Amino acid sequence: MSSRRPKIGVYVCHCGINIGSVVDVPAVVEYASSLPGVAIAREYTYMCSDPGQNLVKEDIKTSGLNRVIVASCSPRMHEPTFRKTLKEAGLNPYFLEMANIREQCSWVHEDHAEATEKAKKLVEAAVAKALVLEALEEKEVDVIPSCLVIGAGIAGIQAALDIADAGFKVYVVEKTPSVGGHMSQLDKTFPTLDCSACILTPKMVDVANHPNIELMTYSQVEAVEGYVGNFKATIRKKARYVDVSKCTGCGVCAENCRLAGRIPSEFDENIGMRSAIYLPFPQAVPAKYTIDPERCLQLSKGKCGKEGPACAEACTAGAVNFEQEDELVDIECGTIIVATGYDVFDAARKPEYAWSDYANVITGLEFERLVSASGPTGGKPLLGRDKKGEGGYLPQKVAFIHCVGSRDKSVGNEYCSRVCCMYLAKQAHLIRDKLPEADITVYYMDVRAFGKGFEEFYDRVRREGVRYVRGNPSEVFKKNADPEDHTLIVKVEDTLTAQALEAEHDMVVLGVGLEPRHDVREIIDLFKLSQSTDGFFMEAHPKLRPVDTASDGIFLAGCCQGPKDIPDTVAQAKGAASSALILIASGKVNVEAQVSFVTSSECRGCGFCVEVCPFGAIELVDENRMGNIVKVALVNEALCKGCGSCAAACLSGAIQPRSFKDEQILPQIAVLGVRT
Amino acid sequence: MVDETILREKAREVLARDDVRRLIGWKRGTYGYESAPAVLKDASQADELIFDPTCVQNPASFITLEEKLPVPRGQDPDTRKVAVLVKGCDSRAVVQQLVEKAYTRDGVIVLGVPCTGVVDRRKAQKMFGDTSEPVMIKEEGDKFVFIIDGETREGPRAELLADKCVRCRFPNPLVYDELVADEVAVWGADEFADVDEFEKMSPPEKWKFWEEQFSKCIRCYSCRNVCPMCYCLECVVTKQKPQWTRRSTDVSENTAYHIQRAWHLSGRCIECGECERVCPVDIPITTLNRKMTRDVKELFSYEPGVDVEAEPLLSCYNPQDPEEYIM
Repeated sequence: MSSRRPKIGVYVCHCGINIGSVVDVPAVVEYASSLPGVAIAREYTYMCSDPGQNLVKEDIKTSGLNRVIVASCSPRMHEPTFRKTLKEAGLNPYFLEMANIREQCSWVHEDHAEATEKAKKLVEAAVAKALVLEALEEKEVDVIPSCLVIGAGIAGIQAALDIADAGFKVYVVEKTPSVGGHMSQLDKTFPTLDCSACILTPKMVDVANHPNIELMTYSQVEAVEGYVGNFKATIRKKARYVDVSKCTGCGVCAENCRLAGRIPSEFDENIGMRSAIYLPFPQAVPAKYTIDPERCLQLSKGKCGKEGPACAEACTAGAVNFEQEDELVDIECGTIIVATGYDVFDAARKPEYAWSDYANVITGLEFERLVSASGPTGGKPLLGRDKKGEGGYLPQKVAFIHCVGSRDKSVGNEYCSRVCCMYLAKQAHLIRDKLPEADITVYYMDVRAFGKGFEEFYDRVRREGVRYVRGNPSEVFKKNADPEDHTLIVKVEDTLTAQALEAEHDMVVLGVGLEPRHDVREIIDLFKLSQSTDGFFMEAHPKLRPVDTASDGIFLAGCCQGPKDIPDTVAQAKGAASSALILIASGKVNVEAQVSFVTSSECRGCGFCVEVCPFGAIELVDENRMGNIVKVALVNEALCKGCGSCAAACLSGAIQPRSFKDEQILPQIAVLGVRT
Repeated sequence: MVDETILREKAREVLARDDVRRLIGWKRGTYGYESAPAVLKDASQADELIFDPTCVQNPASFITLEEKLPVPRGQDPDTRKVAVLVKGCDSRAVVQQLVEKAYTRDGVIVLGVPCTGVVDRRKAQKMFGDTSEPVMIKEEGDKFVFIIDGETREGPRAELLADKCVRCRFPNPLVYDELVADEVAVWGADEFADVDEFEKMSPPEKWKFWEEQFSKCIRCYSCRNVCPMCYCLECVVTKQKPQWTRRSTDVSENTAYHIQRAWHLSGRCIECGECERVCPVDIPITTLNRKMTRDVKELFSYEPGVDVEAEPLLSCYNPQDPEEYIM
């Protein structure tokens, strides 16, 4: 086909009035028909419509076109559409070239005459490239029918359950000793006030017991290689120092631990205490104890009391094993779902709210543990307890502050965290519930009650006597130095009455936002993901491919992609699961044909392409050049996305993306560079 | 001052090693004011080596030039190391080649030669005329002492030093396994006075200047061949698909060639001056390169060939890089 003389069809799209109202489409068509190699030039209102596509197909069949140029929108939009058209008409789909006269022309120019001239140039450049296009063959690869889910919060759990229920193997890797994630820390959920644990724990148990799910808690993905359909992952199962096959979860070890009640519990946001050998929370799954190697005296100091470790002695099952070592497990999977979740904003980064200084300034997540029936205070919002967790007082004047670490350029987070408005409303409700006499004030910038039942709930909370003051507090400080007096002053301007207030409270809850995880870089490096400007993982398309990533076969679920509430997280997890299932169930996948290729005779094996490749698609391999063994780059075509980073980095010009070779781009530049 | 006996002794030791294939250095030239590069394979040849102000060549150019000949059936390829003698300026080429991963550090043995400056052939010819016999040069205080055709002549050091030596900031090698003499004190500084001077010309004057220079070019590619940083397996000037520059020697294609070479050396040129030295028609090639060097230094705070740990300028991306010149 490529040996035949190019016979080009040019199709100029009006895109309704998107292009047609600025660019003189008939003039572009007339110009195009005068260009060398162009056999047919036509215009149509909507090229992407069925009749528009049929126009192309008919011409290919009747006039023997062998190159097609569609002058319309961005190739990101409709290149796949028209490639399909060519394929259906029996032409190699890579004989398509698109001229973007919408995003890069009609939408950005006001001068109609100049826009038309530019559109002509863009079409002419496309013709110049079409003359040297080559047929490319797509490859089909098998998909291993399994999925690796990273993170076992509600997103990971839901995605894993859906795929497992469809009958396919799922590996779930969770970093902490228990599944559950942040949702297991929450008390009630807005706006329905379901008990978080009640709706989550059954799913946690399911994920552990499902015959198709292999759950690996206290484990981390160490390395990932391969490509869509054929990933290989190495997982480090960290040593728990407890034999999980023997541990019955009775808890005698923790009671006997010499450090019992002396180590702040991460699960309880450091409000409660745990032992060095611990179960993060009573409903943890698996219900197996873990020794914290950094805190355990035996493991960190090599010595625990005079008689040796008390936990080991107390364990009747003989499950404690200080000799245990990390274990590396290799797995193969066809798809990956990243559901690594989020971190809450570190309130210490807003020093004006004095979270680090005063015990009665707490974050929203600390509040959840404080009011949780399974929390360290048994659900009573007690503040100022002593080291043993006794004593304390109940607050009478409670303040809630919105947007702490969200919508705030000063801390680098411009985005809205989407959950704080509602969780603070819920927490205000919980305080009202537990302390009917308390005075409750919420300081807000805006209340974004956008979801199903949200506005109704917000209204209900206000009717319960919660005062909403519109203002962003500038400072929180203690009224006086008396340690017995817990009164805090919240300095704020009520922007609706333009009054400066100094309101007294004895408890301040900070509505901390959601942030990308602190270890997000590691995950990016591992899976070659990209970040949006807010730091969360970037989806392949913000609207049409919200769970896909730029790497085929890797999907996103939950807050790792951006802040969201539980229903949205579950919905996205189900979306990610179904996207993964499409690949798994069909068993085959076509990989991109516009990939990079190496001219190995020009490659000197420096490996800069390997370093810059965002997809890990290039490796250096040995090549035998007449007996001399040299290193040359080799592209894994299943992994390559044709982004061209390698071509930019290559000092010798030995690696280039197909369809974007120098000899294909230069004629385009030559056309654009000529003045008319 | 380098003691040639010690230099030869060290070279002999290295050449005697089982894991060394060859040693690159300098030997007496066949005529005129320059030495010749020496590629030695055997310890017995070590006495050929010299080091004096005639040793202007950059031996680092040869490290990457070796052709990989077919290995006869049944034999293993020769993977032994290459040893090289380098002056301070030459060592920058080794550094940059290592940065660009042209070879591994393990693959070369670098013998560092602290240098107090070499003689510019053209300046000497002007002062003393040409000769068909090899000239001996010695440095004595602020003079160079020449033995030309058996006759002893003298000339002031400042007037005979190569330009690169006048502004030399790195007389001592930046990378080496062993030094063959004690380090010397730094005497030079580089404020890019030559570039400043050149930039005083107006654009039409500059254009006229370069048009004149490039119209002389015979496209012998000596500048490319001698350049230690020009070691691509296939040079862009010989590529046919696409053909970036035509082969004809007219001023337009010559200009394209020289601009292309300057761009390809931006952030890579280590200013050894070899290109200009070998030019048979005396084109001031380093002026172009030094303009690029200064721009790279000002825009990206990057200086090639000084840090083995650095990344190549054009293969790394920093979000803080200035972009004013793009838009």
